[in-house]
Amino acid sequence: MNSVLIIINKAPYGYEDAFSGFFVEIACLNRQLVADVVLIEDGVYAAIDNQNSEGLKFPGVGELTYLIFPEGNIFVYNNSLKERGIHKEDLMETIEIIDDNELYELSKSKEVVIKI
Amino acid sequence: MEESTKTLTIILTEGPYRSQYADMAHEIAKSALNNKYNVNMFLYMDATHIPRKGQNPHSFPNVLEKYKALVEMGADIRACVRCATARGYACDAKFPYIQGITITTVYDIPEWIKTSDKVISLG
Repeated sequence: MNSVLIIINKAPYGYEDAFSGFFVEIACLNRQLVADVVLIEDGVYAAIDNQNSEGLKFPGVGELTYLIFPEGNIFVYNNSLKERGIHKEDLMETIEIIDDNELYELSKSKEVVIKI
Repeated sequence: MEESTKTLTIILTEGPYRSQYADMAHEIAKSALNNKYNVNMFLYMDATHIPRKGQNPHSFPNVLEKYKALVEMGADIRACVRCATARGYACDAKFPYIQGITITTVYDIPEWIKTSDKVISLG
């Protein structure tokens, strides 16, 4: 099995999940798997540009995303953005927004789906 | 003709007693082992609490006993070093886990994915 999709649905600060999900993604890419991340629900906050976690004493998740490109992609689910009032211009440049059908096709295209 | 052996990998992210994921993972792994599968289990985040020695829950079945049985049946169970260390479980002389559990890196996940026939993530 060589293709992986990692789903992250928790907010990046206050929970360990987004941080840990990106670590799995980076490990998969370093081992030559085709691996992408999709952010849904509160996970979409990990795609916000110019994150500053200094005051929280949490590691910056935004910095981790730069280790993923260009081998891997980070997708965000459009409905989750809309529900939270987040717009395309709020996101990092490299993030791709996907709709229901694209999420379905992406999930279907992967051999392994890991929900973190 | 010898029957081919398949491999199941389970990635577990949830700790014991808070939810039933640890019990579900145990049941799936036990069933797979009984059906001649090789079973790998990677304990990530709070799941690294599961194999800690000396658990004595009063209101729940002891998850440790279940995982001891999986190891005895041949499951390869490993815990993430970053997550385990964060929770106070280190690879020192006072090894915190039951025999047969190893503490290793997250890089085992992609290696196991490559060689597995099925991967399930729970948590």
